[in-house]
Amino acid sequence: MVAALLLGLCTPAQAGKEQISPDPVNPKATPEARQLYRTLLSLYGEKAVSGVVANIDWNTREADNVYKWTNQWPVINVFDFINIHASKDVNPKGWLDYSDMTAVLQWHEQGGVVGMMWHWQVKANNGTNLTCSPGKKPGETSFDPSKVFVDGTPENKQALHDVDQVAGYLKTLQKKGIPIIWRPFHEAAGNTYEFEGGGAWFWWGAKGPEVYKKLWRWMYDQLVNRHGLNNLLWVWNSQMDDSPWYPGDDVVDIVGRDNYAALMYPLWKEYKQLSAEYPTKMITLAECGNGDEVKMSLWSKIWKQGSRWLWFMPWYDNAYNEGNSDEHQFAGEAWWKDAFATGTVVDRDEWKKLLNR
Amino acid sequence: MKKIFCCLVFVACSVAVQAVERTILLGPKTIGAGWKDNILLEGRHFAAAKAGDVVTVYNDRAKRTAQAAFQDPKDWQGVASEYGCFNVAGPFRMVLTDDIINKVRERGVFIGGHDYRILRVTLTPGEEFVETIVWKGPSVQMKSDWSASAEIPARSFKTLQEGDGLRLHVSKVEQDAAAKLMDFTWNVLEKATDGIPVGQDGCTYYINDNGPLIKLRLAGTGDNTAMRIGGKGYRLDKIGIVQFVGQRSEDLTDVQRAPKEYELQPGELFHGEKMFPNDWSGNLRLTAEPFQECTENDVLILHYELLPRQDGVTPQMSFRENKGKWYDITGAKDPVWYPLDGNDVVLTFDEVILDKLKTKGLVVTGLGFVLTRIELVTAN
Repeated sequence: MVAALLLGLCTPAQAGKEQISPDPVNPKATPEARQLYRTLLSLYGEKAVSGVVANIDWNTREADNVYKWTNQWPVINVFDFINIHASKDVNPKGWLDYSDMTAVLQWHEQGGVVGMMWHWQVKANNGTNLTCSPGKKPGETSFDPSKVFVDGTPENKQALHDVDQVAGYLKTLQKKGIPIIWRPFHEAAGNTYEFEGGGAWFWWGAKGPEVYKKLWRWMYDQLVNRHGLNNLLWVWNSQMDDSPWYPGDDVVDIVGRDNYAALMYPLWKEYKQLSAEYPTKMITLAECGNGDEVKMSLWSKIWKQGSRWLWFMPWYDNAYNEGNSDEHQFAGEAWWKDAFATGTVVDRDEWKKLLNR
Repeated sequence: MKKIFCCLVFVACSVAVQAVERTILLGPKTIGAGWKDNILLEGRHFAAAKAGDVVTVYNDRAKRTAQAAFQDPKDWQGVASEYGCFNVAGPFRMVLTDDIINKVRERGVFIGGHDYRILRVTLTPGEEFVETIVWKGPSVQMKSDWSASAEIPARSFKTLQEGDGLRLHVSKVEQDAAAKLMDFTWNVLEKATDGIPVGQDGCTYYINDNGPLIKLRLAGTGDNTAMRIGGKGYRLDKIGIVQFVGQRSEDLTDVQRAPKEYELQPGELFHGEKMFPNDWSGNLRLTAEPFQECTENDVLILHYELLPRQDGVTPQMSFRENKGKWYDITGAKDPVWYPLDGNDVVLTFDEVILDKLKTKGLVVTGLGFVLTRIELVTAN
């Protein structure tokens, strides 16, 4: 195997697959979560799973785009709890309703995989806005993550309130036997290690790696142990060179990377580095797309270069979906057509066959 | 008597000649994706400018997501907060204030942004615009949560025509203040009116086509609400309609011309005229994208023309990684300088250079030359 690796005949994923745990980290994981994990593992290194993200609220607009362009559906649709404070079930003046899970249930019933992430917004310093951005300015937040674990603090009360709300939605899905790819507290290190003066982009990273890791474990405890949510596969996001932020092998199923300058060569380098740093975990491209200055490499080139990301998920383009832009900002028709044409990308039909659905 | 009449005619003509919209920069200049393109509008154009005068940037090929900025070369910030970044929909303008004039006279101003092409830039004396106040309140304080708005009746827009501007007179302006101009159905008049930056002197929105006018007219007449103005961080006090009453001059004396633009041919990474002056202010950034499939021993060939010799200046060029502190592309601790003698400069890729090019891209820096072309030649 080593010789084969040296000769470039197999990828890090193929070479080290036996090191990866055959089951999710949660020993009480539901059968559906186990099946999801094992199916992903069976594909890892051989093929990538296609994914998209919802356009803000519960919807499949990006998946619809992909189908319109290619006549094929992506497998994963990721939803975001970013606007839970404006959900009608908790806010009569709200503009969306997270408790109406029709779009999510339909996606599952159609054979898709449900993903969830959380741009967890808290009150900004001005007392009216909501934000994830840490700082002292009126539109930023001084919400202190180190106080989330301190009983009775405003941070603790707010965090428990919000986690309970989200747990309610996740429980609804668990009761229906739906496993979830769960990616909270993403991009925590921000650009701390990218250049001098860099820092966290979100409040959950504002107090550094030790508080962050404690926060991750606090959430794991809240959702798994207090709320009994065993349908989650836990995805942690690396910002590269940020191993001090890794919460630990026992609370992470999959390691992700977000990259918006997604060129084939740097992607390959990052994939190799993460595979070496986290040999017992599958490595995924949790977010990707064109950057401000560069266009994401075609998937055929990314694959040819040697990356074997577990799945990929280009970001949504609201302007495109609203008809205000002619080109998709992150990944358009040509990119998706190329991706499916390679034969290395699993679509929803193939996924259903793998699960005998 | 005849002599006096002639003098009067001369004075009138002089005033007329002065008081026209005058072209100060001729394009085309493409402002491509990613905020990487710009052009410096030279300070000399503003020698006689005064507060209230208007810079207009006529453009085409604007994507619907295009944005623009008027930036101070000193720190790349907007010359005023409202000019740091705004949406492009038709010609866009900057109204000069004393503060702006002080900056642009000394250093000029960069016109930048992304996804549009500058055709020409003009300077128009402020007196060529006549303003009529059409709404006098009551004032509305726009809160930080965008929840407040003012209802403007249809009668206020009776005289509004294509080409006119709507000037918002404001007070109590906070940082990051923005205005949102909506029709009576609460939809934005057009994308450009969804968050217009508001400065201490308010902002002016120009009606560049018939679309917004039709939306306003759909509201009917009289007291019917035709427009809703919302936003955050300012108090709306008055609204005026600004109309251009002057003339446009085709006189191109002293006009600044944009560098010639070329369509890139296969293998070319740059083709144009990029100045690297003797003050070290010139640089050209290339992303990692064109280098993704390069291999060792591929080469970059850089063509240039030397600037006129200047005592104490040695024309030279160096290559840096396009990230962070611009370390030398060779990995050397100190920059490697290529002295320029008129011959092309060739950079051959080794393993270290290749890795940096593919991950970070390249910055060309130096002084004493005009870069005219960069070719990428592959070993195969």
